[in-house]
Amino acid sequence: MSSKANLDVLSRQVAYSGEGISVKSLETDIQKERTIQDNKVEELKVLRERNVNIQSAMAEELKKLRKFGDYLNGTATGGGFWAGFKEVLSYIPGLGSMSMSQRSIEELLKAQYQVSARRVKEAAEYVDTLKQSEQDLYKEIDRINVRIVEMAKNEREALNYVLELKALQEQLEGEEQAVEAGSVEQRDIQANIDKVRAKLAEHSTNVQLYGSAEERYARLKENTRKLADTIRNLAQDIQQYTTASSIKLDMASAQIQAIGRAADASTVMLEMKRSLDVMTESMNVTTQFVSDTQIFFRTNLDTFINELDTFDEKTSTVLEDNLRKSKEVEDARIQAAIDKAVKRSGAPAASPPSPSGA
Amino acid sequence: MTVVALHTQALVQPEAATYLDLLGRSLHAARLSNAFPERRPLQQSLETLAESLRLGLHGELYVDSRAGLPNLASFTRPLTDKSVARESLTRMGDRAALEARAGEAEVFARLAAKHAYYEKLQDRELAPVDHQRVLLRRHDPASGTAAFRIELTKLDASGVYVRLQIELTQVSSLWRRKVIDLDKDGETAAASEAFRSMVYRCADLDAEALFMRMHGAEGVSVERVQRGVIGPVLFAMPTGSGVQVIRTAEAPDDALGREWHAWSVGAGAAEHERPELLAAFATDSAALDIREERSNDPLSPLLRDRLRDQEQARYRALRERYPFKVFKDRKFVATPGLKTVAHATCAAAGTKNMIHALQIG
Repeated sequence: MSSKANLDVLSRQVAYSGEGISVKSLETDIQKERTIQDNKVEELKVLRERNVNIQSAMAEELKKLRKFGDYLNGTATGGGFWAGFKEVLSYIPGLGSMSMSQRSIEELLKAQYQVSARRVKEAAEYVDTLKQSEQDLYKEIDRINVRIVEMAKNEREALNYVLELKALQEQLEGEEQAVEAGSVEQRDIQANIDKVRAKLAEHSTNVQLYGSAEERYARLKENTRKLADTIRNLAQDIQQYTTASSIKLDMASAQIQAIGRAADASTVMLEMKRSLDVMTESMNVTTQFVSDTQIFFRTNLDTFINELDTFDEKTSTVLEDNLRKSKEVEDARIQAAIDKAVKRSGAPAASPPSPSGA
Repeated sequence: MTVVALHTQALVQPEAATYLDLLGRSLHAARLSNAFPERRPLQQSLETLAESLRLGLHGELYVDSRAGLPNLASFTRPLTDKSVARESLTRMGDRAALEARAGEAEVFARLAAKHAYYEKLQDRELAPVDHQRVLLRRHDPASGTAAFRIELTKLDASGVYVRLQIELTQVSSLWRRKVIDLDKDGETAAASEAFRSMVYRCADLDAEALFMRMHGAEGVSVERVQRGVIGPVLFAMPTGSGVQVIRTAEAPDDALGREWHAWSVGAGAAEHERPELLAAFATDSAALDIREERSNDPLSPLLRDRLRDQEQARYRALRERYPFKVFKDRKFVATPGLKTVAHATCAAAGTKNMIHALQIG
């Protein structure tokens, strides 16, 4: 006698979708998803760190630009204009030790402007990278959702099959009661009951595995969504900040040039003033010298003249004395010659000439 | 008028694209010599700006409302983009992959466009905001004499784009501080910081004043000072709706500016159908080899013609100390509607200037 129960249930293939499931395969799949998530978290960490660095640098550059503006347009005067101005100039590498008039302020400000623009641009570039990451995560969420639905469907398949097996088991157990103990029929029914139990064990495990997988994928999805939201918020924050900074830079470019040119003009004026100061000092010294000389001459002129007179008188005396002495020598020489001539001729010697030569 | 900040005018699409196209073509039509800032980098900067606006990477173009040229922010933009291009391309990954995901989200389409923009930008030579270099022309180690050319390209604070070239000779001396230093092999040179800054600061002086300022400084003998100035540019762009015209907002208050204003309220007032642009290109030289002192620039007569009688004698005495002569010239590029403005400006000054035609569209 054959069983009245529908034994086709035992041979039916259950339509699970996917590649089948085991504890090991589920752990492997979940691990894969977690790895993707961990990578994104790592990526986010790197992005956040770089973003913090860039934003700090950007804030610093913008602060320098603003300070330039403040000091140059006179809104910051603590410690005096030039003290403040020198302070902001000291922010620029290589300039701190340099004399102010060495470098063009306009050129320096434009260079600073370009550095700031680059910082803003670098930060802005991260917005797109973050948006790309966000989209990658949403795509991941879609993929996880597909898995969740798949697991839910498989769980339902497993549950339905388990219910069918349970019904078959009960039916077979009822039939077993109705047949003679130890008969061939009973042995046949018991054999089918064993098959049902084996199937029940297999598909009950599937119910648990698919149910567990569904829950774990759902939790994974929730974490991925949080990560995507974090990245989106970060991107929005950076976008707002960089957009504001970018607008500020765009609007400030003409001011930067105007301020630079005005500062250069001030430097030129300072150089001119220094030059005039030197000139004034020279003129003062010269005037003082001329004035002192005049006083000296005025107070000493008479003495000079007297001294000159005295000198002339002495000179005259000396000259006259010299002339007198020369005359005496010459007269003596002439007398000697006359005496000699008289002596040779035997004539009486003439009297010597008078000293006056008369 | 769309003046959005100090001397800053904002243009949006499609007027910005029309303006950039006309300005770029005006540079070509002007047949610029090497007295002017290099045309190719400037044109590439303009093309880059146009492309970034077309791709929506930037929303507005900022123009100096006095000079009618892209301002510091606009000049800086392509340079900044180029400076981050390489690193950004590495982060973006493959362009084909981005294009494949273009339908997925807006960011991928934008990144694919930006990828193409950055790739192209990497090979472009762009116009600098500031660039100064010293070129060695001759060097005679025996006499310690070296001849140099200093070149400065500068986006001037007045909004015009200038190239300044100074040719000079320096005799080295142990006791004298040199304004330019040669390296040990005698092949490359660099100006001292003070001299470099003096050149930069004085770049907006005319060639005559610059010659006198530089000549004799620290053993330097100047042979030639030449300035090439691009700008001002005057434009009138009908807006998309065709009922308004965007014009250069703060045109200069000189002969050209006055003719322009007259045109704007006269023939140009009704100009709502086609864009118009007029660009001026001036040269100003002071050099030993100029034979006749003359100005053919309707906007800039010779200094001697501008001085009062009581200043003339002092000026003549000053000039006798320097052997150079001055020559000034200016040419224009104009669309058909604005040719009359250029003609009237030249006629009023009695100069004969080149006026090149710029076709629209």
